[in-house]
Amino acid sequence: MSSRRILVCALLLCTALTGGCKKDEPKSTRWDDAAAAVASAPPADVDAAGAVPLSPAGTLNKFFPKDGEGGYKRIFAADKEGYAEAKLQKDGKEVAVLSISDAERLAYAKAKFDGATEKLEGYPLMTVGKNQSTVLVKNRYQVKVSSPTLEHEARKAILATFDLKGLGT
Amino acid sequence: MTESLHAVLEALPQSSLTTHILGALDYIVPGEWRNITNFEELVKDVTGETNDALIQQVGERAMQLYADESNGYQRAVSVYRGIDSASTVAGVAAMANLAGQRFEILSFLTDVTPKADTTQAIDAGIKFAGELVAFALTNGIPGDSVGDFVSALANYGKEEKMRLAAWLAIDCVLPLGPDFIQKILEALDGPLEDIENNRVFKFVSAHLPGGLAEQRDTIKRNVEESRGHLESMVAGHGITQEGVMEKVKEYVAIADDKLDLVAAALDLGTNTFEHTGIQTVARRVVQRAYSEI
Repeated sequence: MSSRRILVCALLLCTALTGGCKKDEPKSTRWDDAAAAVASAPPADVDAAGAVPLSPAGTLNKFFPKDGEGGYKRIFAADKEGYAEAKLQKDGKEVAVLSISDAERLAYAKAKFDGATEKLEGYPLMTVGKNQSTVLVKNRYQVKVSSPTLEHEARKAILATFDLKGLGT
Repeated sequence: MTESLHAVLEALPQSSLTTHILGALDYIVPGEWRNITNFEELVKDVTGETNDALIQQVGERAMQLYADESNGYQRAVSVYRGIDSASTVAGVAAMANLAGQRFEILSFLTDVTPKADTTQAIDAGIKFAGELVAFALTNGIPGDSVGDFVSALANYGKEEKMRLAAWLAIDCVLPLGPDFIQKILEALDGPLEDIENNRVFKFVSAHLPGGLAEQRDTIKRNVEESRGHLESMVAGHGITQEGVMEKVKEYVAIADDKLDLVAAALDLGTNTFEHTGIQTVARRVVQRAYSEI
């Protein structure tokens, strides 16, 4: 009896794995060209690498708004070379994603600020898409607030709570 | 040539035993997990943007970030894959051992395979260390920074939370019962060889600092320091052996009621860490790309 049970159990698992599952839809081809480009050319980062090393991990966190600032709970989410990220929560719900990225090797990320019409503490400020507000500090560090629920003015207010002065010196 | 990020994500099945089991366990973390296996859909989900050019730019930047090995994302995916491919073998050992206890004709197996409970408990502890390691590779904290990981656990969401719930249900509560933490800690206190010879450990250990004894300490500390959060998740979400079994049976036909056997069969037949782990890494890379562009 028991040996049959194991067999039945295993067989049913196999059935669930194969016959019991609907066929996957065809995959998109939207990203194939980009994948081929990434595979055939060295990534843009590496290409432009040389003179200036990216900010090491652990060096960007200190410029983020303090935990509790503006009534938000701040939780650090990533701390890598050239990139730091934190989440802002209110009442346990995520409100925004904050980030500082070292744009030293990402020319187009910096170039878009040429069209910026606003300023924050003297640095060019602009929106990206419908959910982001961003400021470029020292023509190098992109500080961003991304939020699908906050408007530009609210995002800008959060940007102002970063230590932009410290980051710029 | 390394696999591109969109290919890694889109290779995941839209429907499989794993997705059925995850669907069955959705009651533990309602609404947290959606089985996103389409890269464009993921970019839209992360960013909330609708502009096609912007979506393309975010996707392409994410693919670049993933392709650069030094960023650690590929290694995180290989750890998640390793946890599952290695535990498949552990699943076989547990089945063989149960069979050995049950059948005269197979009784010799009990001499060569570890006690199923011990294997299961060590497996569970080391898989959880794998989660720590993959988290560290993805998000950039040091591999021995248990404290940072434990505080991040409390803020787990979406695929991460689903993966944690599935681990608690299938690897912990179902086979080990409500006092699973104690069993895991006791098993990890056993002979060091049991850990060293564990197939999941062989995969995770490369990313844990120190020698074998120190690595064991990190694995234990990871369980000990997360204990409060894990136990409150089990209590708060009502994860019980009966509850898990009942839900799993709603979604998957299983002819046996033996909890340890079902747990072993599920361990053998599913890859919840790999599936949701790839979704987590992809989501994190896309989030970073969105911040960087």
